[in-house]
Formats: sequence, structure tokens, C-alpha cells
Amino acid sequence: MTGRRPRVVVAGLGSEYRRDDGAGPLVAARAVEHAGVGCDIGPMTDPLDLLGAWDGADLAIIVDAVRSGAAPGTVRVVDLAAFDGAATPAGRSATSTHGIGLAGVFRLAHAVDHAPLRVVVVGIEGEDFGRGTGLSPTVGAALPGAVNRVVDLIREVHVCA
Amino acid sequence: MSHGSGSPRTIGVEGLSRVEGEGSLRVVVHDGTVTDVALEIFEPPRYFEALLVGRHFTEAPDITARICGICPVAYQMSACAAMEDACGVTVDDRVASLRRLLYCGEWIQSHALHVYLLHAPDFLGCADAVELAESDRGAVQRGLGLKRTGNLIMETVGGRAVHPVNVRVGGFYRAPDPDAVAALADPLRRARDAALATVDWVSRFDIPDVPGDYRFVALRDGDRYPIESGRPSSSEGLDASPAEFGELVVEEHVARSTALHARLAGRDPYLTGPLARYALNSGTLPPLAAEAAEAAGLGPVCSNPFQSIVVRSVELVLACDEALALVEAYAPPDPPADDVQPRPGVNASVGTGVTEAPRGLLLHHYEIDQDGTILHARIMPPTSQNQLTIEADLRRVVQGGLDLADDDLQWRCEQAVRNHDPCISCAAHFLDLSVVTT
Repeated sequence: MTGRRPRVVVAGLGSEYRRDDGAGPLVAARAVEHAGVGCDIGPMTDPLDLLGAWDGADLAIIVDAVRSGAAPGTVRVVDLAAFDGAATPAGRSATSTHGIGLAGVFRLAHAVDHAPLRVVVVGIEGEDFGRGTGLSPTVGAALPGAVNRVVDLIREVHVCA
Repeated sequence: MSHGSGSPRTIGVEGLSRVEGEGSLRVVVHDGTVTDVALEIFEPPRYFEALLVGRHFTEAPDITARICGICPVAYQMSACAAMEDACGVTVDDRVASLRRLLYCGEWIQSHALHVYLLHAPDFLGCADAVELAESDRGAVQRGLGLKRTGNLIMETVGGRAVHPVNVRVGGFYRAPDPDAVAALADPLRRARDAALATVDWVSRFDIPDVPGDYRFVALRDGDRYPIESGRPSSSEGLDASPAEFGELVVEEHVARSTALHARLAGRDPYLTGPLARYALNSGTLPPLAAEAAEAAGLGPVCSNPFQSIVVRSVELVLACDEALALVEAYAPPDPPADDVQPRPGVNASVGTGVTEAPRGLLLHHYEIDQDGTILHARIMPPTSQNQLTIEADLRRVVQGGLDLADDDLQWRCEQAVRNHDPCISCAAHFLDLSVVTT
């Protein structure tokens, strides 16, 4: 990664009109602002919009609210390089709000040689996905920590360069 | 899923894939006759109409854009048209042209996505776009290239590839730089070639011949193919103003769905979207798109929903061709937006806006007071208008495919739904939720 400035893109997935689902776009925007580098390519509600937007990136950071059963506000970082895409069920049996989920989009990008070098997902456990704007207090309190994790990821790449 | 002598055969798909939103469908066949078809939508209602009440009229384009990540421009354009109608403003021709260019970008994005990633796998025996990419990487790359060109238009004119931020009631916050717009020409020429290749590609698919008997509803816009403006029209002679059309359509709630079901004159189901647009406007296609349609074997009207992928591809040619012409003729609107103010001294001004979203006619209707506060909002997306017709399609497809194995029939049913590219997350947004179960 020498000789040129690494390209880091950050995308927040989610809708600000579904309470904690809006955490992803908020974290992405704040992290890019704090880091002073990187490019916020969101907000997005459909992982398919990543296709094209993340092409050629050295690092793509996807920030999304998740519901895994962990305590609300928990922040998890998953590196998709270690992800076994082949184990993902194909579209025929998949249930998805958007046709192809993030894992499918990542596999598709690989299949056409448009995947970023590295994709990292930063998940924030949500509590309230009901209608309306504004985060729940627990998730709101976790926001600075999530922003710092994303800033660290951005800076790691730039320091390495 | 079960069937046997005397017992109903039930085809159930609990999670529809490759449609926008969450839905399921249920078909029951008894003694060789389809007895029940239900396209069920179980995405929670989105209450955008309620959310708009009390907000300022200038906020409607940005708020409603968030209803859908695939067609935000459609929501912005219909919202702007409705608010400008309420305020008695007709925008400058240059603003109108720039809106049409932005809308072309969305059509290119949306149609490329649906044709290549969501619909083509149905015809090629692939489970999904990933499998298609593994077997025909060039085709998927062509589709993604088209989508990127759509993104480029959205970024240049709208300021962002998704949920554009440059749109406002009256026009745009900033007129795009002429050099940046001119730079779209080369990508658009390549995209137009790719769109022509797309029509050729899909026209060679093995497409089931299951014609429907549709009541088509789409805009007509003089001698132009309708995109950002026009009058609601039908294959049965309707020619209405946007406001009259809004009054003609009655939406009803059914317990199984959180989307409203629309009927014309409270009675007749109808179809909006590419098949309807094409049927009512094929004579206005520019020569390149018209030639592509003819070479693909399309007549002036196409009533086979499985051929909607061909019609959508012809519209891709149209959108690239139109966008290129608009880019070449671009003159920045100055000012970039007309001044739009609520009518002074009028307590409740009403306005209706209709445009052609990629999936069909999208109507917004608002009532605002003299301070610009929204008093009432009604949003009628294409999918809720099409839902009854999609169910009728399913009934016909199942009746004609009873000799198929359950898996194949289920697959055919899912295809029948995807033919109309339903955006279920757009449709599920109505105000009153009163589910009655008995």
C-alpha cells in the first residue's frame, strides 16, 4: 500500500426513521469527520448500493445496527476476510428485506473482481427498532465508543501506509 | 407444502427473496382449481404519512426519500410536484430538464439492479446473482457497469448516489457544474451500448408465455415517454389530472397485509409500471429504443408479465439515450430553484404530484396551511396499486402450471411476483393499522 494514499470508505447502513437502526449512518458520519480522512459513502438502506461505491477501496468499513441477543449498545467488529462466504445460503432460500444481504453482496463483488481488499463490519447491538427518530438512551450512550472503533480502523490503515 | 387426493395443495413461500421488502405468498389449490391466492406483506407499517403531518412542506422531499433506498428520487420528485401544485408554481424548463436527468439516473440504477441481479437469475436457472456471476461474469459486470453510470448521474446532479441531497421544492440547492455534467457523456454512451446489449441478451431468454388481461395505468406526457411528469391515463380511455386520479383511486385495507390495496373507481384492479408505461407510450419511444424493442420482438403492447424484463431493458435504453441528450443540452438553471411559498391567506392548500417511479406511478397528495405546515399527507406507491393484479397473475400462473412439481411451481410463483419488481417496503407505510382476524 505504498506510493499512494489508501482509499478507505465508510458506509452506515440503516434508517434514521427506525430508532436504533439509524445508529450506523450516525457513527459512520461522525467517524469520518473525527478521523479527518476516509470517505463516507452512506447512508444506505440497501447493501446492494455498496456495489460500485466501494470498488477499489483498500478498506471498507460497514457500520450497522444489529440484533444478535447481546446487551444493547454492545459493539462488535467482524472482519469479513475471515468470513466463509460459501456457507451463505443462496438467494432461493434466503429471506431478506433487500434481496441480497451484506454477505451476498460481498460474495458477488468477489465474483466480479470488484471487492475491496478488506471489509470490516462494525455492529452496534440495537434495542429499539420501532418507528420514529432518535436512538434509545443505551445505544446513544454507546455511540462514542463505536465512533472510536471506526476511527481506529481508519487510522490503522493510514499509519500502515 | 402438501397435496394428495381430496386434500388442498398448498404452495407457501414464507420469505420472498429478491423483492424489495418482506413479503410472503400463499396459494391454495383444491380439486384442480385455485381457491385462494394471497400475497401477504408483513413488514410493519411505516407511518410516513403520519410522520409528515406537522412538518414544514419543504421537508417532504427529504423525509419521503427515506421510504425507499432504491427509488428515493421518485419520492422526491412526486413530493416536489405536489408541493409546487399546492403553492401554484410551475418550475422553470431548465429545472424540469435537470429533474428528468436525475430521474433517468434512478431508472438506470433501479432497472439495472432488477434486470441483472434480481430477475435474470430466474430465467437462467441460477439461484441468485452470485451464481449468475460465477457462470457469466461478463453479463453481471455489464449490469454493474450500468448501475455505476446511474450512480454517477445521481452523484453529479443529486450530490450523492443514494438518497440525493441536492433536491428541494422548486428545484435544486445548487446547479451542477457544466463540466461535471459534460463528463457524464462518455459513460452514458458506453451505458447506452450496454443497454442495447441488455435488450439483446434478455430477448433470448426462454420466457414463459403467460399473457395477462391487464387494465394498464400510466402517465402520458405528450410526445415524450413519461418519467417526471404527465397525466394519469389508462388502457380504457382514462385521461385525468393528477388530482382527479387521486380521487378516482380507492385504497382499502385487507387484514393479511400492511399495504393498502388500490382499485380504480373503487372497483377495478389495475397495473402500473413498465408494462403499463410501454403499452400506453410505446409510440413515443425515441428511435433507438423503439428499434431495440422491435428487434426484441415486442409489439406496441406487451401483456406477458414474464416479458417485463425485456420492457425494462428497453426502458434502460431509453433512460441512457434521454440522459445523454439532456447532458448534451444542459444549461444550468439560474437560479437553481424557483421561490415556492404557501398561498398567502389560504388556510388549506392542496396539491397532488404524480411521476413514474421505476416500478410505476407514484402519487403524493398534501394539504398545507398558509405557514407551510403539512396538515395531511397521502402517498400511493406503485406496489400497493399493483398488489391485486399481482395476485391475479399468481392465480393464472398456478392454474396453468398445476402439472409442475411443487418446487417448480413455487419457483414459478416467486417469478410471477418478481415480474413486477414489487417494492414492498415502499407499499407498507399506510396510516391506519387495524388488523381484524376471525
